[in-house]
This record gives sequence, C-alpha cells and structure tokens, in this order.
Amino acid sequence: MIAAGLPQRFKVGFDPNSQIFSLAGTIRPRSIDEIAESIHALREAIDAVRGVLYIDVKRLIQMNNTAFQAFIRVALDACRERSDLRLVIVTSSVVSWTTRMFRHLSTIEPQISVEVYDSMFYPGQDYFEDTSFIPILRAQTKLTWRHERTILPRHGMRPGIAVADICCGIGDFAVLAQKEFQPARIVALDHSKPSLAYARTVAAEFGVTGIEYTYGDASEMLLEDNQFDFVACRHSLQIFNQPELLLKELYRIVKPGGRVYITNEKNSHCLGEPRAQSIQWTYNELARLLSHFEMDVELGPKSRRYLADAGFDDILVESFMVTNLDGDPQDFADIIAGWEKMFAAMAARHGEAPEFIDRFRQGFRDHIFAALHPKGYAGWPIWAASGRKPL
Amino acid sequence: MGASVNKTTETAFEPLLQFDMEMEDFLSDWHHCDHVSSYLARMISHNRTDPVRHSNFFSSALNELLEVSFRGGTTDGKIGLSIYRQGATERVQLSFPCPPGQARFYREAVSKTRESDAQARYLDAISNDLAPSRESVLLDLAVNYDARLRLDEDAAPAITLIVDLPLEGEGMVS
Repeated sequence: MIAAGLPQRFKVGFDPNSQIFSLAGTIRPRSIDEIAESIHALREAIDAVRGVLYIDVKRLIQMNNTAFQAFIRVALDACRERSDLRLVIVTSSVVSWTTRMFRHLSTIEPQISVEVYDSMFYPGQDYFEDTSFIPILRAQTKLTWRHERTILPRHGMRPGIAVADICCGIGDFAVLAQKEFQPARIVALDHSKPSLAYARTVAAEFGVTGIEYTYGDASEMLLEDNQFDFVACRHSLQIFNQPELLLKELYRIVKPGGRVYITNEKNSHCLGEPRAQSIQWTYNELARLLSHFEMDVELGPKSRRYLADAGFDDILVESFMVTNLDGDPQDFADIIAGWEKMFAAMAARHGEAPEFIDRFRQGFRDHIFAALHPKGYAGWPIWAASGRKPL
Repeated sequence: MGASVNKTTETAFEPLLQFDMEMEDFLSDWHHCDHVSSYLARMISHNRTDPVRHSNFFSSALNELLEVSFRGGTTDGKIGLSIYRQGATERVQLSFPCPPGQARFYREAVSKTRESDAQARYLDAISNDLAPSRESVLLDLAVNYDARLRLDEDAAPAITLIVDLPLEGEGMVS
C-alpha cells in the first residue's frame, strides 16, 4: 500500500506468512493524522501475528520524530498489552540514524530487540571481499577493460552523463570509466567497507577526484529514483541470490530513457587448449559448486531474459572473450591462479572430498598451462547486456 | 519561493552556504522542511567521504531543526540558515522569528540537551508522549546525532539555534 497524502514517497506493507511489517521511503508528516492509515496497518499486523513480528525499516530513507513516535507508541503499547509478543526491528547498517533511534526501544521494552542488517546477510560474499583477492580483481578489470572501453558506448556510455557503478568492488572500473568518458557525475556503491576503503585510497593516490564512493546494499539503495543516465552492474547479478531484486533497484535509479548495463559470465564456457577436457570438467564443476552458494555463474546468456522481465526495452546483448592473447599472458594466468585458490576453499567449505578438490584444482592449473603455452589459447567468456528504461 | 543561497563567513568554521526565506513563505507549506533539508544536504555533502550517506544523515537532522522552526516560528521576518564546516563537524545556524516569551522556552530546552540526564529525559519522552515536543526533538539531536546545541538571542525577537553535528566519523557516517 502507498500512504495517503504522501504518494510514491512512503510505503508500508505486511507479509502475514513471514510476519514482516515493512516501512520504506520518506515519512515526514506534519501530524499523526497524515499517517493514520499506516499506524492502523501496524496495529492490524500486530493483532494478526503470534510470537514474533519483524518490523523491517531497512528501506526507511527518512522518518521524522512525529512519525517515529507514532509508530513506536503502537509498538510499546502492544508489548505492554501482550506478554506473548516479541518485536524485532530490523534496521540497516547503511542508514546509520535508524539504528541509533530504534536501538532505544530495547532499553525501554525488553520484548523489543533491534537487529542490524548488513553484508553478512549475503551468502558467500566474504570470499569476494577477502583483501588478498584484490590483485585478482584488478587484473580482471585490466583485461576486461580492453574490451569494454569499446563496448560501453554502444550501450549508452558517453561524456557528460550521470553514471552509477553499483557493486563497484574496489572501484577500478569507476576510475577507468571516469578517465575515458568524463561523466558529469559518477557514484560508485558497494556493500564492502574494506573494498571502498581501498577504492578511496587508490583514487587519492592517483589524484582521481569526483567519484562519490558510497557504502550501500545494492538491493536496498539510498539513491533516489530516476537519477542516472547509465547504471553499470558488472559481474554481480551472478553472485547474488536474488538477481531480480537487484535489477528492480537498478531500474528504479536509472532515468527513463537511460540504460542499465550488466556483465555476467557463463563459467562452464571457459576454455583452453591444450588440456581442454580437464579445463572443461573443472569449470562445469565450478558452476555446480557455486549453485550451492546460491550463485548462478551461468547467468551471462540469461541476461536478455532478466532485463526483459525487469521491464527494460531496447535490449542489447553481446559477448566477448577475455584471452591469454589480451596483453601479457601472465595477467590471465594470475587471474586463474586466484580463482583456483578461492574456489578450492569454497569446495572445501562445501565438504567436497580431497580427491575431488585435487582434480578441481588441476583444471585451473591446466587452464594456466594453456594460457602460458607458446602455442596455447585460454579464454574466459563474458556477456555484456543493457536495457533501456522506457520513457 | 523567494529564497536565496549566498556565501557567508564565520571564524574557525568554513562557511559552506547561507539560505534565507521570508518566514511567511516558509510557513505556507510543511513540505518546505523536507525539500530544503534534502536539497541543502545534497549540496554540502558532495565532497564528504560518503556523500550519499552523509546527505541522508545530515538531511535527517536538518529536517528536525526546520520542523522546530516551522512549529514555533511566526510569520514576521525571515528564516535564515547558515551551514559551516570544521573537519568532521557541520555547524547549522538557524534563525527564525518566534513569539515573545519563547526565547526562555528554547533557552531551557537547549540547556537540557547539555545536562547529564539528557538521555533519560529523551527515553522518558519517547516512552510516554503521543507526539514529540520541540524539547524532545532537540534532545533527539543531542542523543542520536551527538549534536552540541546552543542558543543565540542577540537578534530578538528572533532566536538562533546553533547546532554542531559531528556526522563524519565512526558510528555515524564512516
């Protein structure tokens, strides 16, 4: 439902199955009367639940004291009337003031607790945030950029526009995009504070200014609607367990007529010669392994469907192959060596047998062998796709 | 809107911007509080470490101050808002005309934000009151934003709230 009197700025919802009451958007009423319907909805939600009611304020962008006090009045009164009731308020680590305001409720009322939602809620993400992986990420961007710098203009990248790089990681794509295309504004968002700290340090060292690095949850962004001409989200839909949710947010922040640009892989199509069979086996197994971590590293060719389902039109899809012939073959080999280390650790965590892990590792080593072989060829295919938000 | 944004100066704190508006115009629409706080927050946050989150946090605090002036101000004169910066701290200087006798109310309310029982007073207010008073809003700024507040009465009958917000740091926007 959308609150009366404040169209499109404030939403409340109740999911009786999961017993979650959610508040989202900007709620700054002059009087309680303006949010009476929403206050009533919270009362009804409390009446409808047994045990725990989760009050989700992760997407609460602004709430004034008038609204805050009106909602907590209902919550506190309910706890005083019902000893069986427990309220769990879920705030976001991104919106600092919500945690600071709501945390007091657990002091006032023992039946209320406050949980802070943050990056630990993303399954398996810690592997990609390990700082030892940073050189691999940098090498990956170095090799993909050779292709993307010519691809990007076909997908709407041009000078003077407002750009967002969502799931920016260590921020190197944003730096390259800024240097190459001189956007009027560029915002780079990620949910890893260590990655952002690294990005800011690198930008400062290289004298790059003007990139707005921001900490945020890509599926619950603080960024306002219809702000950007071009929104990039690279290699990220494939490692989120709910890519549709992410696309919905990308759609929200891009301007009508603007484009969302995504890149994703199909890991089972990684290839190499010689030792093709061993390489093929490992990458097939890699796709299977990562599915256990709720990641779809086969997503690349599904980009068109995902973009269409999210409401985009004028969808463009193309693929390119990063190979050992893109510059120094050692760069390619270094990337695969990083993958071997990271994915072998994930296989171990998943409980794979040592014999499996040995064979799994061998495929990566054979891929490196192919990359460094004087007559060898090694490839890593990537799908680049974009869609336009209808006017 | 009849508003203007100009450069101004103050010792020690670096001036960022000044905004003023006829109070009658300001009081004509409640949403001015939201619009002005959101717009000015974006303007001053662009060169902070995390501009998006800084803007969100600053807007939240500034909106509460503007709502205080909206609820307690009178139509004669102007509302003036100056924003300064010193390191991690943003200073908001908000002047607005208010009815005779109100200065004492604000003096006491601001004084309470600096007392050792500020948090207890705030918890008591949110535990029991149906709607926030202007006093509890100022306590909210002190408790939840670590704001330091003081009052300047030199331009009576207008009052000036001076609020230092240490927003850029651990636990705030970091």
